[in-house]
Amino acid sequence: MSWDSFIYFALSSVAFFILGAFFAWKGRKSWIIYTSTLIGLFILGGFIVNIWISFERPPLRTMGETRLWYSFFLPLAGIITYVRWKYKWILCFSTLLSFVFICVNLFKPEIHNKTLMPALQSPWFPPHVIVYMFAYAILGAATVLSIYLLWIKKKEIQEKEMEMCDNLVSVGLAFMTLGMLFGALWAKEAWGHYWTWDPKETWAAITWFSYLFYIHYRKGFPSNRQIPLYFLLISFVFLQICWWGINYLPAAIGSSIHTYN
Amino acid sequence: MLIQAIKSRNLVFGLLFGAGIVLIGLFLQLTVGAIEWTCITYPINICLVIFFLILLVIGYIFRARIRFVRWMGQYPAAISALAWVIFLTLILGLTKQIPEDQSENGIWGISSMLSFWPFFLVYCWLASILGMVVLSHLFPFRWRHLPFIFNHLGLFVAMVSATLGNADVKQLTMNVHVGQSEWRGLDKDGIVHDLPLKICLKKFSIDEYPPKLTIVSNKTGKVLFDKKSQNLSLEKSVTQGALLQWEIQVSNVILNAAPVELADSINYIKWFSSGATNAAYVKATNSFTKVHKEGWVSSGSFLFPYQALLLDSVSSIVMPGREPKRYSSEIELFTQSGKKVNAEIEVNKPLKIDGWKIYQYGYDEEKGRWSDSSIFQFVYDPWLPVVYAGIYMMMAGAVCMFAISGKRKEERK
Repeated sequence: MSWDSFIYFALSSVAFFILGAFFAWKGRKSWIIYTSTLIGLFILGGFIVNIWISFERPPLRTMGETRLWYSFFLPLAGIITYVRWKYKWILCFSTLLSFVFICVNLFKPEIHNKTLMPALQSPWFPPHVIVYMFAYAILGAATVLSIYLLWIKKKEIQEKEMEMCDNLVSVGLAFMTLGMLFGALWAKEAWGHYWTWDPKETWAAITWFSYLFYIHYRKGFPSNRQIPLYFLLISFVFLQICWWGINYLPAAIGSSIHTYN
Repeated sequence: MLIQAIKSRNLVFGLLFGAGIVLIGLFLQLTVGAIEWTCITYPINICLVIFFLILLVIGYIFRARIRFVRWMGQYPAAISALAWVIFLTLILGLTKQIPEDQSENGIWGISSMLSFWPFFLVYCWLASILGMVVLSHLFPFRWRHLPFIFNHLGLFVAMVSATLGNADVKQLTMNVHVGQSEWRGLDKDGIVHDLPLKICLKKFSIDEYPPKLTIVSNKTGKVLFDKKSQNLSLEKSVTQGALLQWEIQVSNVILNAAPVELADSINYIKWFSSGATNAAYVKATNSFTKVHKEGWVSSGSFLFPYQALLLDSVSSIVMPGREPKRYSSEIELFTQSGKKVNAEIEVNKPLKIDGWKIYQYGYDEEKGRWSDSSIFQFVYDPWLPVVYAGIYMMMAGAVCMFAISGKRKEERK
């Protein structure tokens, strides 16, 4: 199995995601929504497992590989959110974003090989990245919701919609915290120290603090809805810098151990 | 409306208070200079922690009388402190930091942010707020406060102990040759320290990934690749493949090879001594022009030069050095307390003994797999258990946060 067969897995899983999103939007029966999304996840997950086996290492090293996980976790985060809070738009969003990331991997394939440097060969590696990707997926949902509330929705923002945002952020932040701390524990085992203010770590801290800012602001000023929503967008920009932006940031180039090729 | 106005005023006060802290920090930076972290070792750091805790507790006890302390426990204080923390950490993220061993400080010290007074003071301010809200949630204790306490106390403990314990961390590297013993380590300034441990290196071994073939530009030496293939990994079963427009056939791969110069060419034979290189006999056919080239390609070693196969005027096939898959050292270790331990150390699997962690740090890279020495890193961090206690609390807090998110509000309704 290699990336050559990705297109078949990708398109068939996206077809099922679209089906699930469509049924959710139309308010059809739950079981049909769950089943189609789960089949899609099963297909994409099957591809990940297959390349994991054939690469003989977790496929988490390159940016393309993290995008693959992201496109898997978006629909998963979407369906979990749907099960819990029944937002009928969430699956449309997660499907669309997942499709975007799948397209990036289809049209801009990277060179994938088997090598994995010894420091990355650790049982901490998969949970660290997977949990982070899941957090990014949820926080991506929160970002889209805030864009919708700020600019697309013409009527006044309801408290219920703000609560939706709060829920997404606290779940995303919980996962982000776990990802960050897994990273710290791993770093101690592999590099000798749990936190060294490496540029990636610095930006992870910035992102983390800015979502904390959102949560505290919401609790402190529940009636002010615009400012926290804007801050959510800024936080997502920080998140992007942390994820891939530091590869282009002059201050970080050449001084981070978290550089992907 | 009134509450909102008071809150906004509190927030403005918080932002101004933060600005005051930054100004004080700048003043300190200009007068006493950057923070000398190396001075804050045991027992000074312990004293500072105790002093800090006492200050917090006193403030907490007299909270009814001190308005400022009550303000510290409210959201506007936390929000404004977070805003300043984000701002200063952003500066750290956006400026190129100078390595610790260089003395120059750049503009106002922001290029060594970690010893920049405003940065430190703003984090102290955040820690003080954390301490205060933890105290107010601990007494009286309620089970439903547990997630809150995990999150806030965890961050407080991890942050304070990691910062103040940092100067107590000892990091030394040690280079040991096979068959020899060593007990001295070098710190980052290159000063030799005696360790309470002695290491005898019995064996050092490297597993490498299979050799690869790739096409490089004759002019720049850079790898030329298209979307599909960059290199051809010469695993056991692989005998052919494609690189760019070239069909590649590999007829002979020797992982322990030495070149033998013949009258008009070079041949590679099996050779198992130190310094042996990797070689492959490669036949390349251009799928458009049908031009055919063949010859040996070798990665070279510290003993032998590399060998490339010239394809045309612009490109050649080369074999880059093999990448390490795993490297490890078999050691015998003696401690001052008389313990004798046999162990194998590899990357991601450090050895823990008498408060020290011993890491596989490197080897003689010039010799590669024939390296006859191994580099270890010794780390001593007496505050680690405390930092870990904080980290575990934060993890527990995160799990709680996931589990209860959205529940509270539902209950309220």
